[in-house]
Amino acid sequence: MSDPPLNKGPHDLGGAAAGPIDTTDHGMLFWEKQANALRNALSLKKIVRVDELRRAAEDLGDQYYKLAYFERTTMALRTLLLEKGLITESELAAKMAEVRARFDVVPGAGASARKGAPR
Amino acid sequence: MSDTAFDYYARKKHDHDHDDHAPVAGQDSGPPSQYEIMSRAMQELLEAKGVVTADEIRRRIEIFEEDFPYRGSRVIARAWADPAFKARLLKDGKAACAEMGVELEATRLIAVENTPDVHNVIVCTLCSCYPRELLGMPPTWYKSDNYRARVVREPRAVLKEFGTVLPDHVALRVHDSNADMRYVVIPMRPRETKGWSEEQLAEILTRDTLVGVTVPRVPAKP
Amino acid sequence: MTKARRARARRKPPSTYTPAPGHRFRVGDRVMIKRAFPPGHRRTPYYIRGKMGVIERICGAFPNPEELAYGFDGEPAKVLYRVRFQQRHVWPDYEGPARDLIEMEIFEHWLVPASGRMPTAKLTQTG
Repeated sequence: MSDPPLNKGPHDLGGAAAGPIDTTDHGMLFWEKQANALRNALSLKKIVRVDELRRAAEDLGDQYYKLAYFERTTMALRTLLLEKGLITESELAAKMAEVRARFDVVPGAGASARKGAPR
Repeated sequence: MSDTAFDYYARKKHDHDHDDHAPVAGQDSGPPSQYEIMSRAMQELLEAKGVVTADEIRRRIEIFEEDFPYRGSRVIARAWADPAFKARLLKDGKAACAEMGVELEATRLIAVENTPDVHNVIVCTLCSCYPRELLGMPPTWYKSDNYRARVVREPRAVLKEFGTVLPDHVALRVHDSNADMRYVVIPMRPRETKGWSEEQLAEILTRDTLVGVTVPRVPAKP
Repeated sequence: MTKARRARARRKPPSTYTPAPGHRFRVGDRVMIKRAFPPGHRRTPYYIRGKMGVIERICGAFPNPEELAYGFDGEPAKVLYRVRFQQRHVWPDYEGPARDLIEMEIFEHWLVPASGRMPTAKLTQTG
Protein backbone atom coordinates (compact mmCIF):
# COMPACT_ATOMS: atom_id res chain seq x y z
CA MET A 1 0.00 0.00 0.00
CA SER A 2 1.74 3.22 -1.14
CA ASP A 3 1.64 6.40 0.93
CA PRO A 4 -0.12 9.42 -0.54
CA PRO A 5 2.39 11.69 -2.30
CA LEU A 6 4.09 13.95 0.23
CA ASN A 7 2.88 17.56 0.09
CA LYS A 8 1.24 17.25 -3.30
CA GLY A 9 -1.35 19.98 -3.71
CA PRO A 10 -4.78 19.24 -5.20
CA HIS A 11 -3.96 21.55 -8.11
CA ASP A 12 -0.83 19.63 -9.11
CA LEU A 13 -2.64 17.57 -11.70
CA GLY A 14 -0.03 16.77 -14.33
CA GLY A 15 -0.06 13.01 -14.96
CA ALA A 16 -3.08 12.24 -12.74
CA ALA A 17 -5.55 9.62 -13.96
CA ALA A 18 -8.44 11.44 -15.59
CA GLY A 19 -11.28 10.88 -18.00
CA PRO A 20 -12.16 12.11 -21.48
CA ILE A 21 -12.00 15.83 -22.21
CA ASP A 22 -15.12 17.79 -23.03
CA THR A 23 -13.66 19.50 -26.09
CA THR A 24 -16.55 21.98 -26.44
CA ASP A 25 -15.79 25.47 -25.25
CA HIS A 26 -18.67 26.36 -22.93
CA GLY A 27 -17.60 29.97 -22.69
CA MET A 28 -18.34 32.03 -19.61
CA LEU A 29 -21.48 33.16 -17.82
CA PHE A 30 -21.72 36.88 -17.26
CA TRP A 31 -20.90 36.60 -13.54
CA GLU A 32 -17.77 34.63 -14.46
CA LYS A 33 -16.66 37.37 -16.84
CA GLN A 34 -17.27 39.89 -14.10
CA ALA A 35 -15.38 37.76 -11.55
CA ASN A 36 -12.46 37.50 -13.96
CA ALA A 37 -12.51 41.26 -14.56
CA LEU A 38 -12.62 41.94 -10.82
CA ARG A 39 -9.61 39.73 -10.22
CA ASN A 40 -7.78 41.27 -13.14
CA ALA A 41 -8.49 44.83 -11.97
CA LEU A 42 -7.34 44.01 -8.44
CA SER A 43 -4.10 42.45 -9.61
CA LEU A 44 -3.35 45.32 -12.01
CA LYS A 45 -3.65 47.65 -9.03
CA LYS A 46 -1.37 45.26 -7.09
CA ILE A 47 -4.02 44.80 -4.42
CA VAL A 48 -3.78 41.05 -4.81
CA ARG A 49 -1.05 39.13 -6.56
CA VAL A 50 -1.78 36.30 -8.98
CA ASP A 51 0.64 34.16 -6.95
CA GLU A 52 -1.41 34.77 -3.82
CA LEU A 53 -4.63 33.85 -5.62
CA ARG A 54 -3.05 30.63 -6.86
CA ARG A 55 -1.81 29.76 -3.38
CA ALA A 56 -5.24 30.38 -1.86
CA ALA A 57 -6.86 28.08 -4.44
CA GLU A 58 -4.25 25.39 -3.79
CA ASP A 59 -4.94 25.62 -0.05
CA LEU A 60 -8.56 24.57 -0.64
CA GLY A 61 -7.41 20.97 -0.16
CA ASP A 62 -10.02 18.31 -0.93
CA GLN A 63 -12.61 21.00 -1.56
CA TYR A 64 -10.66 21.86 -4.72
CA TYR A 65 -11.91 18.70 -6.40
CA LYS A 66 -15.52 19.51 -5.64
CA LEU A 67 -15.47 23.00 -7.14
CA ALA A 68 -15.68 24.20 -10.71
CA TYR A 69 -13.05 26.63 -12.03
CA PHE A 70 -14.76 29.92 -11.13
CA GLU A 71 -15.93 28.52 -7.82
CA ARG A 72 -12.31 27.86 -6.91
CA THR A 73 -11.20 31.30 -7.95
CA THR A 74 -14.08 32.92 -6.04
CA MET A 75 -13.15 31.04 -2.86
CA ALA A 76 -9.50 32.00 -3.37
CA LEU A 77 -10.37 35.69 -3.70
CA ARG A 78 -12.52 35.46 -0.59
CA THR A 79 -9.58 34.03 1.34
CA LEU A 80 -7.28 36.81 0.22
CA LEU A 81 -9.69 39.67 0.84
CA LEU A 82 -10.24 38.41 4.39
CA GLU A 83 -6.51 37.84 4.90
CA LYS A 84 -5.71 41.37 3.81
CA GLY A 85 -8.48 42.83 5.93
CA LEU A 86 -10.20 44.35 2.91
CA ILE A 87 -13.48 42.78 3.94
CA THR A 88 -14.67 41.01 7.10
CA GLU A 89 -16.62 37.75 7.40
CA SER A 90 -19.67 39.52 8.79
CA GLU A 91 -19.62 42.18 6.06
CA LEU A 92 -19.45 39.46 3.45
CA ALA A 93 -22.26 37.44 5.02
CA ALA A 94 -24.46 40.52 5.24
CA LYS A 95 -23.77 41.56 1.66
CA MET A 96 -24.36 38.03 0.40
CA ALA A 97 -27.75 37.98 2.16
CA GLU A 98 -28.58 41.30 0.50
CA VAL A 99 -27.51 40.08 -2.95
CA ARG A 100 -29.38 36.83 -2.45
CA ALA A 101 -32.54 38.71 -1.51
CA ARG A 102 -32.29 40.72 -4.71
CA PHE A 103 -32.43 37.49 -6.68
CA ASP A 104 -35.41 36.38 -4.58
CA VAL A 105 -33.67 33.12 -3.72
CA VAL A 106 -34.66 31.10 -0.65
CA PRO A 107 -31.51 30.79 1.52
CA GLY A 108 -29.90 27.38 1.11
CA ALA A 109 -31.83 26.49 -2.01
CA GLY A 110 -30.63 26.67 -5.58
CA ALA A 111 -26.95 26.41 -4.72
CA SER A 112 -26.34 24.19 -7.71
CA ALA A 113 -29.11 25.51 -9.94
CA ARG A 114 -26.67 27.24 -12.28
CA LYS A 115 -23.31 25.54 -12.24
CA GLY A 116 -21.85 27.56 -15.07
CA ALA A 117 -19.16 25.92 -17.17
CA PRO A 118 -18.43 22.28 -16.36
CA ARG A 119 -15.21 21.52 -14.49
CA MET B 1 -11.60 48.35 -30.10
CA SER B 2 -13.56 45.63 -31.83
CA ASP B 3 -12.79 44.76 -35.39
CA THR B 4 -15.81 43.14 -36.92
CA ALA B 5 -13.80 41.77 -39.84
CA PHE B 6 -12.03 39.50 -37.36
CA ASP B 7 -15.08 38.33 -35.45
CA TYR B 8 -14.00 34.76 -35.77
CA TYR B 9 -16.50 33.59 -33.18
CA ALA B 10 -19.32 34.72 -35.48
CA ARG B 11 -17.69 33.03 -38.42
CA LYS B 12 -17.11 29.83 -36.50
CA LYS B 13 -20.85 29.34 -36.04
CA HIS B 14 -20.91 28.33 -39.70
CA ASP B 15 -17.81 26.18 -39.54
CA HIS B 16 -17.98 22.48 -38.94
CA ASP B 17 -14.80 22.17 -36.93
CA HIS B 18 -16.31 20.78 -33.75
CA ASP B 19 -13.51 22.12 -31.64
CA ASP B 20 -13.81 25.71 -32.78
CA HIS B 21 -17.51 26.41 -32.52
CA ALA B 22 -18.53 29.62 -30.88
CA PRO B 23 -18.56 29.02 -27.14
CA VAL B 24 -21.80 27.45 -26.01
CA ALA B 25 -23.17 30.34 -24.01
CA GLY B 26 -24.34 29.46 -20.53
CA GLN B 27 -27.70 30.72 -19.42
CA ASP B 28 -27.73 33.51 -16.90
CA SER B 29 -31.36 32.89 -16.02
CA GLY B 30 -32.39 30.86 -12.98
CA PRO B 31 -31.25 31.19 -9.40
CA PRO B 32 -27.59 32.07 -8.92
CA SER B 33 -25.18 29.72 -7.14
CA GLN B 34 -23.70 30.74 -3.82
CA TYR B 35 -20.42 31.42 -5.65
CA GLU B 36 -22.04 33.89 -8.00
CA ILE B 37 -23.63 35.54 -4.97
CA MET B 38 -20.28 35.57 -3.15
CA SER B 39 -18.46 37.04 -6.13
CA ARG B 40 -21.02 39.80 -6.63
CA ALA B 41 -21.02 40.52 -2.90
CA MET B 42 -17.22 40.86 -2.83
CA GLN B 43 -17.30 43.13 -5.85
CA GLU B 44 -19.97 45.38 -4.34
CA LEU B 45 -18.13 45.62 -1.02
CA LEU B 46 -14.90 46.57 -2.76
CA GLU B 47 -16.67 49.15 -4.93
CA ALA B 48 -18.34 50.67 -1.86
CA LYS B 49 -14.94 50.89 -0.15
CA GLY B 50 -13.38 52.54 -3.19
CA VAL B 51 -10.88 49.74 -3.71
CA VAL B 52 -12.04 49.31 -7.29
CA THR B 53 -14.66 51.04 -9.41
CA ALA B 54 -17.48 49.62 -11.49
CA ASP B 55 -15.97 51.39 -14.50
CA GLU B 56 -12.62 49.69 -14.04
CA ILE B 57 -14.31 46.32 -13.97
CA ARG B 58 -16.48 47.14 -16.95
CA ARG B 59 -13.39 48.22 -18.89
CA ARG B 60 -11.61 44.94 -18.14
CA ILE B 61 -14.67 42.97 -19.33
CA GLU B 62 -14.62 44.97 -22.57
CA ILE B 63 -10.93 44.43 -23.14
CA PHE B 64 -11.28 40.69 -22.62
CA GLU B 65 -14.26 40.53 -25.00
CA GLU B 66 -13.40 42.95 -27.75
CA ASP B 67 -9.66 43.29 -27.78
CA PHE B 68 -7.66 40.32 -26.61
CA PRO B 69 -9.33 37.49 -28.56
CA TYR B 70 -8.49 38.99 -31.94
CA ARG B 71 -4.83 39.71 -31.54
CA GLY B 72 -3.37 36.22 -31.73
CA SER B 73 -4.60 35.36 -35.20
CA ARG B 74 -3.40 38.75 -36.52
CA VAL B 75 0.09 38.28 -35.11
CA ILE B 76 0.44 34.73 -36.38
CA ALA B 77 -1.01 35.69 -39.78
CA ARG B 78 1.74 38.31 -40.03
CA ALA B 79 4.29 35.60 -39.15
CA TRP B 80 2.94 33.45 -41.96
CA ALA B 81 3.02 36.30 -44.46
CA ASP B 82 6.42 37.70 -43.46
CA PRO B 83 9.25 35.21 -42.72
CA ALA B 84 11.48 37.93 -41.25
CA PHE B 85 8.72 38.88 -38.80
CA LYS B 86 8.27 35.21 -37.94
CA ALA B 87 11.97 34.97 -37.12
CA ARG B 88 11.67 38.00 -34.82
CA LEU B 89 8.54 36.55 -33.22
CA LEU B 90 10.37 33.30 -32.49
CA LYS B 91 13.33 35.19 -31.09
CA ASP B 92 11.33 37.48 -28.79
CA GLY B 93 7.55 37.23 -28.79
CA LYS B 94 6.86 40.33 -26.74
CA ALA B 95 9.11 42.55 -28.84
CA ALA B 96 7.65 41.30 -32.11
CA CYS B 97 4.08 41.89 -30.93
CA ALA B 98 5.01 45.42 -29.88
CA GLU B 99 6.26 46.04 -33.44
CA MET B 100 2.73 45.35 -34.63
CA GLY B 101 1.15 47.59 -32.04
CA VAL B 102 0.06 44.64 -29.91
CA GLU B 103 1.24 45.77 -26.49
CA LEU B 104 1.46 42.83 -24.12
CA GLU B 105 1.54 44.65 -20.80
CA ALA B 106 1.90 41.67 -18.51
CA THR B 107 2.75 38.81 -20.86
CA ARG B 108 6.15 37.36 -21.63
CA LEU B 109 5.39 35.59 -24.85
CA ILE B 110 7.27 32.65 -26.32
CA ALA B 111 6.19 31.54 -29.79
CA VAL B 112 6.85 27.93 -30.75
CA GLU B 113 6.75 26.79 -34.34
CA ASN B 114 5.14 23.72 -35.87
CA THR B 115 7.22 22.14 -38.64
CA PRO B 116 6.90 18.94 -40.67
CA ASP B 117 8.91 17.29 -37.85
CA VAL B 118 7.54 18.96 -34.71
CA HIS B 119 4.08 19.74 -33.36
CA ASN B 120 3.61 21.90 -30.27
CA VAL B 121 0.81 21.94 -27.71
CA ILE B 122 0.33 24.18 -24.66
CA VAL B 123 -1.06 23.52 -21.19
CA CYS B 124 -0.84 24.84 -17.64
CA THR B 125 -1.06 21.78 -15.41
CA LEU B 126 -0.92 23.80 -12.17
CA CYS B 127 -3.74 26.28 -12.88
CA SER B 128 -4.73 27.90 -16.19
CA CYS B 129 -1.88 30.14 -17.30
CA TYR B 130 -2.59 31.16 -20.88
CA PRO B 131 -1.62 34.11 -23.10
CA ARG B 132 -4.83 35.98 -22.26
CA GLU B 133 -3.60 39.29 -23.64
CA LEU B 134 -3.09 37.59 -26.99
CA LEU B 135 -5.92 35.06 -27.17
CA GLY B 136 -8.53 36.24 -24.65
CA MET B 137 -9.92 33.92 -22.01
CA PRO B 138 -8.97 30.26 -22.23
CA PRO B 139 -11.62 27.78 -23.37
CA THR B 140 -13.26 25.64 -20.70
CA TRP B 141 -11.46 22.50 -21.89
CA TYR B 142 -8.06 24.16 -21.36
CA LYS B 143 -8.96 24.89 -17.72
CA SER B 144 -10.47 21.43 -17.17
CA ASP B 145 -8.85 19.00 -14.76
CA ASN B 146 -8.85 16.27 -17.41
CA TYR B 147 -6.88 18.30 -19.96
CA ARG B 148 -4.41 19.51 -17.36
CA ALA B 149 -3.88 15.98 -16.09
CA ARG B 150 -3.65 14.09 -19.37
CA VAL B 151 -2.06 16.26 -22.05
CA VAL B 152 1.38 16.10 -20.41
CA ARG B 153 1.24 12.34 -20.03
CA GLU B 154 -0.67 11.09 -23.08
CA PRO B 155 -0.65 14.05 -25.46
CA ARG B 156 -1.26 12.00 -28.59
CA ALA B 157 -4.42 10.49 -27.13
CA VAL B 158 -5.59 13.94 -26.06
CA LEU B 159 -4.97 15.42 -29.50
CA LYS B 160 -7.01 12.56 -30.99
CA GLU B 161 -9.94 13.68 -28.83
CA PHE B 162 -9.72 17.00 -30.63
CA GLY B 163 -9.61 15.24 -33.99
CA THR B 164 -5.87 15.71 -34.50
CA VAL B 165 -3.84 12.64 -35.37
CA LEU B 166 -0.06 13.01 -35.49
CA PRO B 167 2.09 10.48 -37.34
CA ASP B 168 4.86 8.96 -35.24
CA HIS B 169 7.61 10.66 -37.24
CA VAL B 170 6.36 14.04 -35.98
CA ALA B 171 7.72 14.83 -32.52
CA LEU B 172 5.12 16.14 -30.10
CA ARG B 173 6.44 18.89 -27.88
CA VAL B 174 4.27 19.74 -24.85
CA HIS B 175 4.82 23.06 -23.08
CA ASP B 176 3.69 23.32 -19.46
CA SER B 177 3.30 27.08 -18.80
CA ASN B 178 4.20 26.80 -15.16
CA ALA B 179 5.98 30.08 -14.40
CA ASP B 180 6.50 33.51 -15.99
CA MET B 181 6.38 32.70 -19.71
CA ARG B 182 3.27 32.32 -21.88
CA TYR B 183 3.08 30.43 -25.12
CA VAL B 184 1.53 30.59 -28.56
CA VAL B 185 1.88 28.07 -31.36
CA ILE B 186 2.76 29.09 -34.93
CA PRO B 187 0.95 26.42 -36.94
CA MET B 188 2.26 25.21 -40.28
CA ARG B 189 0.85 27.25 -43.11
CA PRO B 190 -1.21 25.14 -45.54
CA ARG B 191 0.06 25.21 -49.13
CA GLU B 192 -3.38 26.13 -50.40
CA THR B 193 -3.14 29.54 -48.73
CA LYS B 194 -0.49 30.78 -51.14
CA GLY B 195 -1.28 34.35 -52.18
CA TRP B 196 -3.80 34.93 -49.37
CA SER B 197 -3.97 38.27 -47.61
CA GLU B 198 -3.18 38.50 -43.90
CA GLU B 199 -6.90 38.94 -43.18
CA GLN B 200 -7.66 35.67 -44.98
CA LEU B 201 -4.84 33.90 -43.17
CA ALA B 202 -6.07 35.17 -39.79
CA GLU B 203 -9.47 33.61 -40.43
CA ILE B 204 -8.10 30.07 -40.42
CA LEU B 205 -5.78 30.75 -37.47
CA THR B 206 -8.44 29.86 -34.94
CA ARG B 207 -7.78 29.90 -31.22
CA ASP B 208 -7.49 26.12 -30.98
CA THR B 209 -4.75 26.04 -33.64
CA LEU B 210 -2.77 28.60 -31.61
CA VAL B 211 -2.92 26.40 -28.51
CA GLY B 212 -1.95 23.41 -30.63
CA VAL B 213 -4.84 20.98 -30.20
CA THR B 214 -5.86 21.35 -33.86
CA VAL B 215 -4.27 22.44 -37.13
CA PRO B 216 -5.60 25.13 -39.49
CA ARG B 217 -8.10 23.94 -42.07
CA VAL B 218 -8.61 25.47 -45.47
CA PRO B 219 -12.37 25.43 -46.13
CA ALA B 220 -13.29 23.27 -49.10
CA LYS B 221 -14.26 25.30 -52.14
CA PRO B 222 -18.05 25.24 -52.66
CA MET C 1 0.84 52.03 -35.21
CA THR C 2 1.24 55.79 -34.82
CA LYS C 3 4.54 57.50 -35.54
CA ALA C 4 4.94 58.37 -31.86
CA ARG C 5 4.35 54.78 -30.87
CA ARG C 6 6.91 53.53 -33.34
CA ALA C 7 9.42 56.02 -31.93
CA ARG C 8 8.75 54.79 -28.41
CA ALA C 9 9.15 51.18 -29.50
CA ARG C 10 12.49 51.97 -31.10
CA ARG C 11 13.77 53.68 -27.98
CA LYS C 12 12.88 51.00 -25.46
CA PRO C 13 11.66 47.76 -26.99
CA PRO C 14 9.92 45.47 -24.53
CA SER C 15 11.28 41.95 -24.31
CA THR C 16 9.98 38.59 -23.20
CA TYR C 17 13.26 38.04 -21.39
CA THR C 18 15.10 39.82 -18.61
CA PRO C 19 18.81 39.79 -17.85
CA ALA C 20 20.08 36.92 -15.70
CA PRO C 21 23.50 37.95 -14.44
CA GLY C 22 25.32 35.21 -12.60
CA HIS C 23 23.18 32.45 -14.05
CA ARG C 24 24.67 29.12 -12.94
CA PHE C 25 23.57 27.02 -15.90
CA ARG C 26 24.04 27.38 -19.62
CA VAL C 27 21.92 26.26 -22.57
CA GLY C 28 22.70 22.61 -23.20
CA ASP C 29 23.63 21.77 -19.60
CA ARG C 30 22.16 18.52 -18.32
CA VAL C 31 20.24 19.03 -15.10
CA MET C 32 18.20 17.08 -12.63
CA ILE C 33 15.14 18.60 -10.98
CA LYS C 34 15.56 18.42 -7.21
CA ARG C 35 13.87 15.44 -5.66
CA ALA C 36 12.26 17.54 -2.93
CA PHE C 37 8.65 17.73 -1.75
CA PRO C 38 8.32 20.85 0.37
CA PRO C 39 4.88 22.10 1.41
CA GLY C 40 3.53 25.39 0.17
CA HIS C 41 3.26 27.15 -3.14
CA ARG C 42 5.71 25.78 -5.72
CA ARG C 43 5.74 26.19 -9.47
CA THR C 44 7.75 23.01 -10.05
CA PRO C 45 5.16 20.37 -10.91
CA TYR C 46 5.23 17.19 -8.83
CA TYR C 47 5.62 14.97 -11.89
CA ILE C 48 8.96 16.50 -12.90
CA ARG C 49 10.75 16.26 -9.57
CA GLY C 50 13.80 14.03 -9.73
CA LYS C 51 13.70 13.94 -13.56
CA MET C 52 16.65 14.63 -15.86
CA GLY C 53 16.53 17.22 -18.60
CA VAL C 54 18.54 19.75 -20.56
CA ILE C 55 18.58 23.57 -20.33
CA GLU C 56 16.72 24.80 -23.43
CA ARG C 57 16.81 28.55 -22.75
CA ILE C 58 17.50 31.14 -20.08
CA CYS C 59 14.35 33.21 -19.50
CA GLY C 60 15.76 35.78 -17.12
CA ALA C 61 15.48 36.52 -13.41
CA PHE C 62 12.10 36.93 -11.74
CA PRO C 63 10.79 37.41 -8.20
CA ASN C 64 10.36 34.04 -6.50
CA PRO C 65 6.69 32.98 -6.74
CA GLU C 66 7.16 30.79 -3.66
CA GLU C 67 7.54 34.01 -1.67
CA LEU C 68 5.14 36.21 -3.66
CA ALA C 69 2.38 33.75 -2.83
CA TYR C 70 2.61 34.72 0.85
CA GLY C 71 2.81 38.49 0.42
CA PHE C 72 6.60 38.84 0.32
CA ASP C 73 8.36 40.66 -2.48
CA GLY C 74 10.12 37.59 -3.83
CA GLU C 75 13.50 39.33 -3.93
CA PRO C 76 16.23 38.61 -4.74
CA ALA C 77 14.99 37.48 -8.14
CA LYS C 78 15.80 33.91 -9.12
CA VAL C 79 17.00 32.82 -12.54
CA LEU C 80 14.33 31.00 -14.54
CA TYR C 81 15.23 28.45 -17.21
CA ARG C 82 13.29 26.45 -19.74
CA VAL C 83 14.17 22.80 -19.36
CA ARG C 84 13.52 20.15 -21.98
CA PHE C 85 12.80 16.51 -21.12
CA GLN C 86 12.22 13.41 -23.17
CA GLN C 87 8.74 12.15 -22.35
CA ARG C 88 10.01 8.59 -21.95
CA HIS C 89 12.32 9.86 -19.19
CA VAL C 90 9.38 11.46 -17.37
CA TRP C 91 6.73 8.71 -17.60
CA PRO C 92 7.78 5.06 -17.22
CA ASP C 93 4.72 4.00 -19.24
CA TYR C 94 4.93 6.67 -21.94
CA GLU C 95 3.40 5.27 -25.11
CA GLY C 96 4.50 7.78 -27.73
CA PRO C 97 7.70 7.82 -29.76
CA ALA C 98 11.10 8.50 -28.18
CA ARG C 99 11.26 11.85 -29.97
CA ASP C 100 8.34 13.30 -27.94
CA LEU C 101 9.35 16.08 -25.56
CA ILE C 102 7.97 18.04 -22.63
CA GLU C 103 9.29 21.45 -21.67
CA MET C 104 8.65 23.81 -18.79
CA GLU C 105 10.16 26.60 -16.76
CA ILE C 106 12.20 25.76 -13.68
CA PHE C 107 13.78 28.14 -11.20
CA GLU C 108 17.49 27.81 -10.55
CA HIS C 109 17.11 26.66 -6.95
CA TRP C 110 15.26 23.58 -8.18
CA LEU C 111 18.11 22.54 -10.48
CA VAL C 112 20.94 20.18 -9.67
CA PRO C 113 23.76 19.71 -12.17
CA ALA C 114 23.41 16.24 -13.63
CA SER C 115 27.10 15.71 -14.20
CA GLY C 116 27.88 16.05 -10.50
CA ARG C 117 30.16 19.04 -11.05
CA MET C 118 29.02 22.26 -9.40
CA PRO C 119 28.54 24.99 -11.97
CA THR C 120 30.35 28.26 -11.39
CA ALA C 121 29.05 31.67 -12.31
CA LYS C 122 32.15 32.39 -14.35
CA LEU C 123 33.16 30.01 -17.14
CA THR C 124 36.72 28.87 -16.63
CA GLN C 125 36.85 26.88 -19.87
CA THR C 126 35.78 27.70 -23.36
CA GLY C 127 33.14 25.60 -25.09
